[in-house]
Amino acid sequence: MISADLNIVLPELILAVYAMGALMFAVYTGKDATAPLILGSTAALMAALGVWIAISGSGAATAFGGAFIDDGFSRFAKVIILLSAAAILLMSQSYMERIGILKFEYPILIALATVGMMMMVSAGDLMALYMGLELQSLSLYVIAALHRDDQRSTEAGLKYFVLGALSSGLLLYGASLTYGYAGTTLFSGILETISDGKMPIGLLLGLVFLFAGLAFKVSAAPFHMWTPDVYEGSPTPVTAFFATAPKVAAMALFARVAHDAFGTVTADWTQIIALLSVVSMFLGAIAAIGQRDIKRLMAYSSIAHMGFALMGLAAGTMFGIQAMLIYLAIYVVMNIGTFAFILSMERDGQPVTDIDGLHQYSKAEPLKALALLVLMFSLAGVPPMVGFFGKFYVLQAAVDADLAWLAVAGVIASVIGAFYYLRIVYFMYFGEERDAIQTPMNAYNWAALVGAAVIMVAGVVNLFGVEALAAAAAETLVN
Amino acid sequence: MPSIILFAPLVGALICGFGWRIIGEKAAMWVATGLLFLAALLSWIVFLGFDGQTQQIQIFRFIESGTLSTDWAIRLDRLTAIMLIVVTTVSSLVHLYSFGYMDHDPQWREGETYKPRFFAYLSFFTFAMLALVTSDNLVQMFFGWEGVGVASYLLIGFYYRKPSANAAAIKAFIVNRVGDFGFALGIFGLFFLVDSISFDEVFRAAPKLAETNLTFLWTEWNAANLLAFLLFVGAMGKSAQLFLHTWLPDAMEGPTPVSALIHAATMVTAGVFLVARMSPLYEFAPEAKTFIVYLGAATAFFAASVGLVQNDIKRVIAYSTCSQLGYMFVAAGVGVYSVAMFHLLTHAFFKAMLFLGAGSVIHAMHHEQDMRNYGNLRKKIPYTFWAMMIGTLAITGVGIPLTAIGFSGFLSKDAIIESAYGAATPAGNFAFWLLVSAAVMTAFYSWRLMFMTFYGTERGDKHTHEHAHESPRTMLVPLGVLAIGAIFSGMVWYNDFFGKTSAVETFFGMEQTAKAESSHASLSLIGAANAAENGKEEPSSSHDGEKKAAAEPGKGAIYRHPDNTVLDDAHYVPKWVKVSPFIAMLLGFLGAWVMYIRRPDWPAKLAENQRPLYLFLLNKWYFDEIYDAVFVRPAKSLGSFLWKRGDGSVIDGALNGVAMGIVPFFTRLAGRAQSGYLFTYAFWMVLGIVFLVSWMTIRGGAI
Amino acid sequence: MNGLELENFLIVAAALFVIGIFGIFVNRKNVIIILMSIELMLLAVNINLVAFSSFLGDLVGQVFTLFVLTVAAAEAAIGLAILVCFFRNRGTIAVEDVNVMKG
Repeated sequence: MISADLNIVLPELILAVYAMGALMFAVYTGKDATAPLILGSTAALMAALGVWIAISGSGAATAFGGAFIDDGFSRFAKVIILLSAAAILLMSQSYMERIGILKFEYPILIALATVGMMMMVSAGDLMALYMGLELQSLSLYVIAALHRDDQRSTEAGLKYFVLGALSSGLLLYGASLTYGYAGTTLFSGILETISDGKMPIGLLLGLVFLFAGLAFKVSAAPFHMWTPDVYEGSPTPVTAFFATAPKVAAMALFARVAHDAFGTVTADWTQIIALLSVVSMFLGAIAAIGQRDIKRLMAYSSIAHMGFALMGLAAGTMFGIQAMLIYLAIYVVMNIGTFAFILSMERDGQPVTDIDGLHQYSKAEPLKALALLVLMFSLAGVPPMVGFFGKFYVLQAAVDADLAWLAVAGVIASVIGAFYYLRIVYFMYFGEERDAIQTPMNAYNWAALVGAAVIMVAGVVNLFGVEALAAAAAETLVN
Repeated sequence: MPSIILFAPLVGALICGFGWRIIGEKAAMWVATGLLFLAALLSWIVFLGFDGQTQQIQIFRFIESGTLSTDWAIRLDRLTAIMLIVVTTVSSLVHLYSFGYMDHDPQWREGETYKPRFFAYLSFFTFAMLALVTSDNLVQMFFGWEGVGVASYLLIGFYYRKPSANAAAIKAFIVNRVGDFGFALGIFGLFFLVDSISFDEVFRAAPKLAETNLTFLWTEWNAANLLAFLLFVGAMGKSAQLFLHTWLPDAMEGPTPVSALIHAATMVTAGVFLVARMSPLYEFAPEAKTFIVYLGAATAFFAASVGLVQNDIKRVIAYSTCSQLGYMFVAAGVGVYSVAMFHLLTHAFFKAMLFLGAGSVIHAMHHEQDMRNYGNLRKKIPYTFWAMMIGTLAITGVGIPLTAIGFSGFLSKDAIIESAYGAATPAGNFAFWLLVSAAVMTAFYSWRLMFMTFYGTERGDKHTHEHAHESPRTMLVPLGVLAIGAIFSGMVWYNDFFGKTSAVETFFGMEQTAKAESSHASLSLIGAANAAENGKEEPSSSHDGEKKAAAEPGKGAIYRHPDNTVLDDAHYVPKWVKVSPFIAMLLGFLGAWVMYIRRPDWPAKLAENQRPLYLFLLNKWYFDEIYDAVFVRPAKSLGSFLWKRGDGSVIDGALNGVAMGIVPFFTRLAGRAQSGYLFTYAFWMVLGIVFLVSWMTIRGGAI
Repeated sequence: MNGLELENFLIVAAALFVIGIFGIFVNRKNVIIILMSIELMLLAVNINLVAFSSFLGDLVGQVFTLFVLTVAAAEAAIGLAILVCFFRNRGTIAVEDVNVMKG
């Protein structure tokens, strides 16, 4: 019995054991001197696990009495999480070395956070949800403050911690109410109690609090306030990590709770999510216009993008989940490419993040400028880049679900949002002479930047088959 | 073989247009020209060896949508065969001519390449025109129709550095859109009622259409009449008939070979071709036909009157074209489609030649187009003079009255005038008198052109006159070939187009009505003249009508309603009717001779005395001015109103307001909300949860 | 339970929870107070869970409580560690001073 359960959680188990083993290894041997080694092996292990999950998994299984679910949906999310985490780890090495914070804890914390995320997307129980969420969050609090001697980094860590704890409290309060009024913490049990489509007020409150906590994790407005500050303050590789894997995990968890636990009362929660979606899209688009710091800009960008992903969830349909998963996959690739570029930005050997440095950039580095142009266009959702198709899918899902107003709002928001992406392109190609930046890159970052850009263009053919995979994954969640 | 004819020009256009960089300028031009000559040769083989039976050659499936099923197929019948030789012959000669004419064009700077582009356009036009005439259904025809429109636009605006050329190109395009709108409506209507757009189906349904009523705009119409009228609107646009004619004279801004090919011989006759092609429909639409007669006659008269006073040599010929097209429509309108096609054929020869001749004169005079600066050129450019002389003799209709001997225009134009009279309807009579007076004016302006250009004293720039020179061989050969056509084409095919009814029917592959013909003929020889003069129908013809009623529309190239005996009747009009065009020609010639040879001071005096009339004609009956006031200016002011007020103030203003005012306002607001303080952030989160809880308890589905 | 109804526990928990929340955004002086407020919120949740567990006769709620307690301990440790780092950099732990980044 227990061995069967352990078999199902084997990937998580391997990664968790590895993380602890690596911690012991590093502490008792060379400490920070082992960091490059651990970073490389962690990335390799995560990539290997990602590939393994991608090709081995089939069917659906539950472990620990339904608390852990291994199905197509969770596997889809896990593959994205593992691969993006591995990519970010590899990209971060040179940056961390340059500013002297390549500590051995960094890859280990990332690995632990990843274990937490894998737990989140596989959660079938409120306790599993909470444990996964906290494992992820606690690791992220620490790596946000990884640059211990930096004012901003520690402030980012503190802010993230306080607000994260508040959101955990809200979520936990919601979980307790849900438990109380459903009599169980199992998602399937909760679904059973509301199988007639009616919800007692206690459960409704529980739902709202749960969703508020989750909205914090996906940085949906108005629970987004931490995002810009934490993105700006954290070391850039950490920011890159924040922008990718945890977003996917939180979004997947959101979908998991919404459909597995509250799937019979979609009418109730879709309005919450539609509301969060529209506010996020507009806030992300409007607030980003005033930003001069590219990391803050990417923070608002990710808020807006999460608004779009939520639009897919707000549809409350299988196609909506499919659209959301496609959107997330595309979003992650775009962000990996963009952050590969941001990581390399420096002036006189010091990392910088102001977008004024991009003036006339295309003169100095035509290829990189072109790649960044493609990524910016894709982020803005300009056809024919792949980013456009991501938006197209969620808009279609919203329209199909009779949320035409939401789709219209999304189009308007994306038009407003296009401004700041295109401004970067404008600076690069038509800007005036300013204090220029340099962008030395190692092979990983270069490959990530150019590769992401190529994917954004080449993917228009068939999105690399993600559409079908996402459809299969969505099918296992919504039935 | 027809497929080769159709696609050779397209291949030529592609090679010449895109391949000249590879194979060189000269080679590209020769490829296009060579392919055109090949097409022309094959066309003549097809035409001469054609037995009159309609053939359909499918090329490929074109459109499949619901019940709309369209092949791209070639419909080869007598009409197509005629148009094939007209189009390919004139086009190949114009290609050849352009070698000389387009050399060293002063519009272009040294070293600029424009000739391959010109040849490619010409070849492309030829392809589109062939696609039009070989079409087997209305959609395909529409494609060709628009294709020639595009080619015409490109070629009129070929001198794109000249603002007037651009304006003319746009005008031609827009005026044609008006016509095309009618044409498209007609096609939609046919598809709506017949559920097919293939000619065979449409023709078969024509008798039924005549009994169908259709609600359109404000009232009910007879379907056949309405559709025939709508299609004719398209023809009016393309063939520059009255009200939609204004683009044709302006189109003379294009290079002269273009004028010869497109705006004289081929494209502008597409309207006539359309009416002849749709003859089964028109035969069941008497009101539409009557309208065509009135409009054609009015156009013939109007254009000829304007042609009297124009000074630009090309504009004179342009108005002449407009007028001759009116003749053709009269013929089609009274129901003798074969005669319309006859005049189309002969006109293609002599009008193309006149244009090319005029081009030769212009070339000799260093691109001077004003006839007031010509004079006494016949010694300097003798070949061109003789070619123009033949053309003038042809267009004015010189021949021996009451026989079938004469220049081509003599036979075909007289056939039209006789048919108009023979129709014995009010419209026919109206057309007869207008056409005869137009014939007087035709002779006058044609001879005026000749006298002003080749006789009298040298006027204008002395230097230009001294350097006037004969054109190169490449320009003279086409003139010679066309001259042969202008002289003989009438006599050769007179019998086939306007001979005995049976001969015409054989030629066009129609059902034989030989019996009726013979009974009619036996009666007539002497007495028919009187009978027709009385304007009464022979008793036999209505009797024959019942027998002939079996004839299916759509058999043969053109269809003749059993009651339509105009072709017969035209042969038995009184002698004075037959002689009248000749007399008209003489009158016009004498008038021109007196005023431009005998007393060259008279024209100025006359213009002085009859100033209002002169100005009226000089300004083309003020059509352009009226259109400008009625359509162009209101449209422009509406446009600028919508642009400045609507688009500028309202839309731009609102958008700019949002972009420059409201969005930044919210941006600042969002920035201020992001205060950096933990308690603010926490407060926002609490506000969010409070809002969501209240929202859900009020709006949510909780019990 | 001696006349104590479920509602009584829920009201107490809700009150503690709200006090905890207020402690986070009303307090502008000391970050330590925020940490205490967070603990207060988590304890309110624990009261909820235990009360439900008891009234439902279901042990899961109490298991949940143990998890929450464990996580709360870890959270407090991490929070304090970050706060120490922050203090070393800035020399203050006043909430009003945590505002280098904004806009």
